[in-house]
Amino acid sequence: MKFLGLVIVCLTGGLLLYGSMDLPDWGDPASPASTHLSDYYIEHIVEETQVPNLVTAVLADYRGYDTMFETAVVFCAGLACFLLLRDFRPGKNRYYRHIPTGVMLHFKNPDTRMIPGNEFEHMDRDWVPSDIIIKTVCRILIPFIQIYALYVVAHGDFSPGGGFQGGVIFGSSLILMAISYNLKTLLKRVTEKFLSIFAATGVLIYVGLGVLAVIMGGQFLDYGMLAPLVPWDPGHVRALGMLGVEIGVGIAVMAVMVIIYVNIVSEGRHDEGL
Amino acid sequence: MMHIIINILSVFCLLTGLIFFIGGAVGIMRMPDFYSRLHPAGKLDTLGIFTMVAGLVIYNFHHLSLGVVLLSIKMFLIVFFVFLASPTATHSIVDAGMRAGLRPWTKKKEKE
Repeated sequence: MKFLGLVIVCLTGGLLLYGSMDLPDWGDPASPASTHLSDYYIEHIVEETQVPNLVTAVLADYRGYDTMFETAVVFCAGLACFLLLRDFRPGKNRYYRHIPTGVMLHFKNPDTRMIPGNEFEHMDRDWVPSDIIIKTVCRILIPFIQIYALYVVAHGDFSPGGGFQGGVIFGSSLILMAISYNLKTLLKRVTEKFLSIFAATGVLIYVGLGVLAVIMGGQFLDYGMLAPLVPWDPGHVRALGMLGVEIGVGIAVMAVMVIIYVNIVSEGRHDEGL
Repeated sequence: MMHIIINILSVFCLLTGLIFFIGGAVGIMRMPDFYSRLHPAGKLDTLGIFTMVAGLVIYNFHHLSLGVVLLSIKMFLIVFFVFLASPTATHSIVDAGMRAGLRPWTKKKEKE
């Protein structure tokens, strides 16, 4: 079986390499990509969309469907991770720590459980005393990382950046919180319900803006049709529509990042992990 | 005259940073074990970055205006965050190594 797999991998790799011989050279000015489409984009984007960043204009406007389904794919990745890994059975062993004395209690019966309050807290099995240096520094850094993420999302249509990158930065700041404190601290603030709603909301914002354009009498994802809804300069509405779409992408990517992380580190139990 | 002084200063800072970076790279290659390799890595992340960015900031001051000052502050913000993050990362890596039970290198080990 292993041998068969090796043969298939070698065959596919060989075919791909053989196929790549027909591709045009890197940066070839006579290649089809550089002769037809790119010229059109470079010449017409600013007058048609009012967006100074060509990449965003191509991704969110000319190829809006593509980016929309990319967001849907990200959403599906989070959903698949949830469906495959989420484990709703109650954990067998529970550990509680008496905060004033530091004594650990171990409950073996899954039915008995304690309500963690001021006296007791729910702990991980291999709990290690949290490190004050790491905790303090992460406390300082996380807000700045999040502000930077919002900056990247908001600058999507002016400079390099956008929803995917900003969402990943924001999600990684939440993951940093889970690493520096523990998983429970993160899940207390950002619950599973909240994350799921955000992941779906992000995709809905994108599709909703597209449908809104249809309702206003345009075509799907034709942001220019939203002009009567916003009180600002109608020429800039396309850029604003793209900004809205980027925000939707950012929300979806942020939530899905955290969903994937939480489900993988805790093996779907959402109780303890890295 | 001013330009020459600025250029000399920035080149001097960049060269100092380069020395730190080379020293750090050699240290990472040549040090005997995990913990001592982290030492030059932490060094070059802090002092090397500081002198390098200081050189770039000085080079940036060709003329004094609000935009230039803002850009310099942004560059020093990078240094500030690296100063916070790099020692913490080194600390947590060493901590993880100790918890995982990796013993520090000693001279005795080499003789065996």
